[in-house]
Amino acid sequence: MDFLRRYLSCCILFTCCLCVRCDEFKEELFFKPLPPTHLYSYFQFVTLVDSELSSLHSHLAPRSLAEVVSRFQVEELHLTLTEGQWRHHQWGYPVLDAAPGAELYAWFSPDVIDVDTQWKKLSATLSGLFCASLNFIDSFNTVTPQMALWPMGAVKSSQNVTSQLRYASLPREIVCTENLTPWKKLLPCESSRGFSALLNSRMIHNTNYHSIGVHVRKICKSSECLETQLEFKQTVTLVYDYDIIKSSDWSFRKLFGQGLPGACPLSTDSKIYVDITSNGTQPFTLSPPPDDVILSQRGRSETKLAVYKIHPDGKMINIGVKHKTKSQIPVSIHPPLFFNRYVLGYGKEFGGIVTEITNNCLAPINVVVLENAPWWLPIQLSTLRINGEAESKLVQSQYYSPGRSRQKPYHLELLIKLPPKSTTTITIDFEFVFLKWQEYPPDANHGFYIGSALISANLPTARNYTSLPITGTTFDSVINATKLWYPIVFRTNGAMVSLPTPDFSMPYNVICLACTVVALAFGPLHNICTKELVLKSSGTSLSLTQKLFNLFKKKKD
Amino acid sequence: MGLLSDPDVGSVKWVRLLKRVHGPVCFLCYVGALVWFALLGHREFNNETYFSENALLPGLVTNEFNAEQTANQYFNELVQELQMNYEDIDDMPVPWLVGKMSQIHLEVYTHNFTLHYPLGQGQVFRGTNVYGILRAPRTSSLEALVVSCPFRTIGSHQKSTAAGIALMLAFAKFARLTQHDQLGMQAWLEAYHGLHNEAEPFHSSLGSFWKPGTPKFNMESFFSNIRLKGRHKKALNPGTLKGRSGSIQAAILLEFNTPKMKYLEVKIEGLNGQLPNLDLVNLVHKLCQKLDINHSFGKSYSWIRGRNSMDEWKNGFLTMFEMVLGQIDGVPDGNHGLFHRFGIEAVTLEGRDVLDPSGKVPRVNSLSSCSFYKLGIALESILRSLNNLLERFHQSYFFYILASTDRFISIGQYMPSLCLLCVAMLIRALSLWVTTLQQDGDYNDKQAKKSNQKSSKHKLEKAKDSDSEEPGEQETEEVAKVKTPEKKKAEINMSVLNIGVNYLLVHLIGYGVMNSPFVFSYYGSLYYTKPPEVSVYFGIISIAIFLTFASPFLPYLLRKGPISYEELSLVNILVLTELSTVCLSVAMHNFSLGFAIAVVYTPLALMTSVYVRGSGKARACLQLLKRLVCLLVHPLVVIVLSMIAYSRHLVPEESWLATLSRGSDAAMQGIMFSVVDSMLYGNWLFNLTTSVILPIWMIFWQILNTKVNARRHQRTPFSIILVYCVNFM
Repeated sequence: MDFLRRYLSCCILFTCCLCVRCDEFKEELFFKPLPPTHLYSYFQFVTLVDSELSSLHSHLAPRSLAEVVSRFQVEELHLTLTEGQWRHHQWGYPVLDAAPGAELYAWFSPDVIDVDTQWKKLSATLSGLFCASLNFIDSFNTVTPQMALWPMGAVKSSQNVTSQLRYASLPREIVCTENLTPWKKLLPCESSRGFSALLNSRMIHNTNYHSIGVHVRKICKSSECLETQLEFKQTVTLVYDYDIIKSSDWSFRKLFGQGLPGACPLSTDSKIYVDITSNGTQPFTLSPPPDDVILSQRGRSETKLAVYKIHPDGKMINIGVKHKTKSQIPVSIHPPLFFNRYVLGYGKEFGGIVTEITNNCLAPINVVVLENAPWWLPIQLSTLRINGEAESKLVQSQYYSPGRSRQKPYHLELLIKLPPKSTTTITIDFEFVFLKWQEYPPDANHGFYIGSALISANLPTARNYTSLPITGTTFDSVINATKLWYPIVFRTNGAMVSLPTPDFSMPYNVICLACTVVALAFGPLHNICTKELVLKSSGTSLSLTQKLFNLFKKKKD
Repeated sequence: MGLLSDPDVGSVKWVRLLKRVHGPVCFLCYVGALVWFALLGHREFNNETYFSENALLPGLVTNEFNAEQTANQYFNELVQELQMNYEDIDDMPVPWLVGKMSQIHLEVYTHNFTLHYPLGQGQVFRGTNVYGILRAPRTSSLEALVVSCPFRTIGSHQKSTAAGIALMLAFAKFARLTQHDQLGMQAWLEAYHGLHNEAEPFHSSLGSFWKPGTPKFNMESFFSNIRLKGRHKKALNPGTLKGRSGSIQAAILLEFNTPKMKYLEVKIEGLNGQLPNLDLVNLVHKLCQKLDINHSFGKSYSWIRGRNSMDEWKNGFLTMFEMVLGQIDGVPDGNHGLFHRFGIEAVTLEGRDVLDPSGKVPRVNSLSSCSFYKLGIALESILRSLNNLLERFHQSYFFYILASTDRFISIGQYMPSLCLLCVAMLIRALSLWVTTLQQDGDYNDKQAKKSNQKSSKHKLEKAKDSDSEEPGEQETEEVAKVKTPEKKKAEINMSVLNIGVNYLLVHLIGYGVMNSPFVFSYYGSLYYTKPPEVSVYFGIISIAIFLTFASPFLPYLLRKGPISYEELSLVNILVLTELSTVCLSVAMHNFSLGFAIAVVYTPLALMTSVYVRGSGKARACLQLLKRLVCLLVHPLVVIVLSMIAYSRHLVPEESWLATLSRGSDAAMQGIMFSVVDSMLYGNWLFNLTTSVILPIWMIFWQILNTKVNARRHQRTPFSIILVYCVNFM
């Protein structure tokens, strides 16, 4: 049996090598302890396909997704399904940020003329593929960001990318197993082997924050960028609370309910990275010991990474951490940029959205803030205040597209230069509107969700920064990747407002009452209409023979 | 309206009937209203509470609270800490709280606020709130629950709340440990701090909330013991908050002195008589009952159940009456009251012991004491139930009166009693209207007989115009038209302009009085170096006396001739309509206040009538008596009298003289606090009394103090009413 398995895997490896087009599959897992008591784990499954040849012929790339991409002429696609809120202020930055709920944005190829139709088709198809309610994406919740989003992949420099971009988020979407299962099916090893075997939905939906994502982009094959490749990246972000696993000593068995059954045999590279920078302040030991420890210098911040190379040998691996002393509270170092968003006001007439952005650096930071308010929350540009001023010098550029009732959301983008060591408050007011009674969602008194704002920034420092450089595909690219700027896109937390809601039990009561009245009226009316009133003689009692006679008479009728 | 403005109306049957019986009918309405209200305490007239919101599912989860030890430990530590380091300085152990809260891994924030005292010479108070945020897993901080606790220093004469803070901390720790049970969407834990430089009269601590005026909300609530917060723009600077979470669904406030308390008082009354959703109140009571914790509301105690229906009615009525009395002033009886304005349902749980300042309670000694374990379980169950909510509280009742911990009176049941009072006033207004009309009509009839065809044409026009919007004016015009050709000399005995100016002027004076405390306190402190409460009190007394003497002369200020009977009747009708409208509209929000106003002022309104010169000695005496009654129900007199009665009720063994001085002091404090409350929190009582009730009273006083000349066609039907009114007064 063992022989057979080995033989099979050899065969697969052999065919892999034979395939000169070199589809590649890589899986990576990254752990980082977060202050105060959390653990960040990030899964990344990358499939590289030669896009020159039809990706439909790839044996590793997910065919269903590749079909969608080629059919709708998508250049770049980002889809995340998230439950929970990443706490930038405490935890620092994730590798890839995601908005609570569902978020989808895509660039279409310049050949596409009717982008909106393609976009609707794309979201509907993805909705079926991931069992998510992406089909609710329509023109009334889609915006075209002008400054906030830029393609991560290779695009021709002459191309107008903005007009081909569409962005939508569904903050009310609830993410669960039904989304994870189709997501796992896209992987070459599915969930039977490799790192994806760890994704046990019972365990990962119990975390403080979980997010699954699919990212498709074109990357350059070489530095000259004469040829491009298609990169399918599937990610899972999980944040565990030590209180859930009942101690700060974690292991695979505690986190995922089982050990790792080796790498996926189809992967060319399977690595696990553990951030052990905090080992200096809170000493712990890794077991089994790592294969390698890398010291990475990025900007001026140093990161120590322990690396495990995992082989597809089917051996159970259980990596764990044991702290030497009783855990103290780690002091969280504030990241260079953090933000907060909330709704102002009470009552059902007016309100306001506030976005507070704090620049903790010694240098000014340029950020683009994208406020995206649904049509039922009309924000008014005249009420825009930055630090309480209507005309602020901080605003370098501004884009506003007013919404239209039931057709278009309100969309505001601001390019702001944040002064060093300061907090900038952006306030904009809105009015509440009355909806039609069919437009209220179920549980109307629960409130309405406002999606996250996008904040895209070029950070001058790499403190707390974990993202891959834009050219990088795997985690190797992080090492010593000093750059001038570190671009990142954040999602703030969403908010909830309660719109004026009618008493929905009223129509019900009216219906009940009306039905009762109709029923009461119907009986007598029916009787009158269908039955005949006949005068019957009374007084003289019938004899027995007559009664019998009558009985027969009736029967004859 | 056609009927009302038709001059021939006098001969219609119902008008005659109305004129004959309206006196007894008004009297019956008044008595009926009071009887109705008293009956509401009985089982037959109120309902048992029930859950409207099915999602609450109270008590269906297994409780897991196991942090009794921790709570005890926190309690001891806190008491020790307070005794060691904070004995002399009246301050909050901020570092201790922050330390403990960060130890259990809460996001801890402190929040500073300042209060610029609006009266006097602008003292500045500062305070700090400490709050922590417990973020629930898997949610994006959209909704929140608040658990909060006021902090009172050792030096404070009120009960300390150390146990409440300890329980809160322990609960936070526990909640943290069982986080995966989806315990809280978010639970907020706050402790709070305040200053005690002010005297505290009846109502204990009032918490604070957001910035006035500006729509700044949704901070997770901070509290302070002093009165802060408010509508007055500059009064309170709430500072900024660093940490926030989502919209607050509900808030539970804890005021526990010691874990060994005997019973739990659930306090619900909020600002301006606002109440939390009945579902929340019911939830707390039901869970207390389930967990075997003794709980009470007002005079209704869960461990005492009436033996017979008379006892039950008495208890129910007393509880109800106490709640109504408590709501009249519109001052919340705990920090929860400040949440209601922001659409957050909140209640305060106050632990009470045998020797509680709130008074003696029967059979309290036989009760077993509570423990942190029981309280923790109770808090857990309440929060779990709230966590079950899918939507905000929107079902059940927002307007109700509780007759006991498990019985309530809904708005549909208590409103009729008030409506009866207002109906009495309106019937009186209607009868006055038809009386004046009929006299005009009689007059017209006689004129018509004399006049030629031309004037009968006029009459036809009049009949056509009778459906017009302003019958009074139309009527007078017509009357004038008909009259002028006949008798040039006969004065136009109706001038809407004149009485309208007087009406407006009186209300403007009321508005002026509303804004006077600033002036009084400023000059009082500047020239006499008196504290604001003294200067405001005496300022208001002097202005009241001045107005009492001056207001009868106001109508003469802007006119030449004497006031006519019709004018004064019209004023009377107007003021009756205004009073009944005010009562009804106030009662829509704060039933107790509206009802109290109606009960006090309906007799005055019913007995006020226009006094005609030279109508006999008996009438003159009666008029004097009416004036006396009118003086007695002057708003200021009512306040002083009720304060005297209240202090008599509190300390019955004192001599009458001492009671008087105590009552007067209490009235002084009461007025001061109603002024400050209206400035800081937006309490209506002071504004309503000065800008609406005082002008209404002044107009009644004017009517009673004005003599009009006898008319030619004198047929006053008032004597009947007067006899009835005086009888029952």
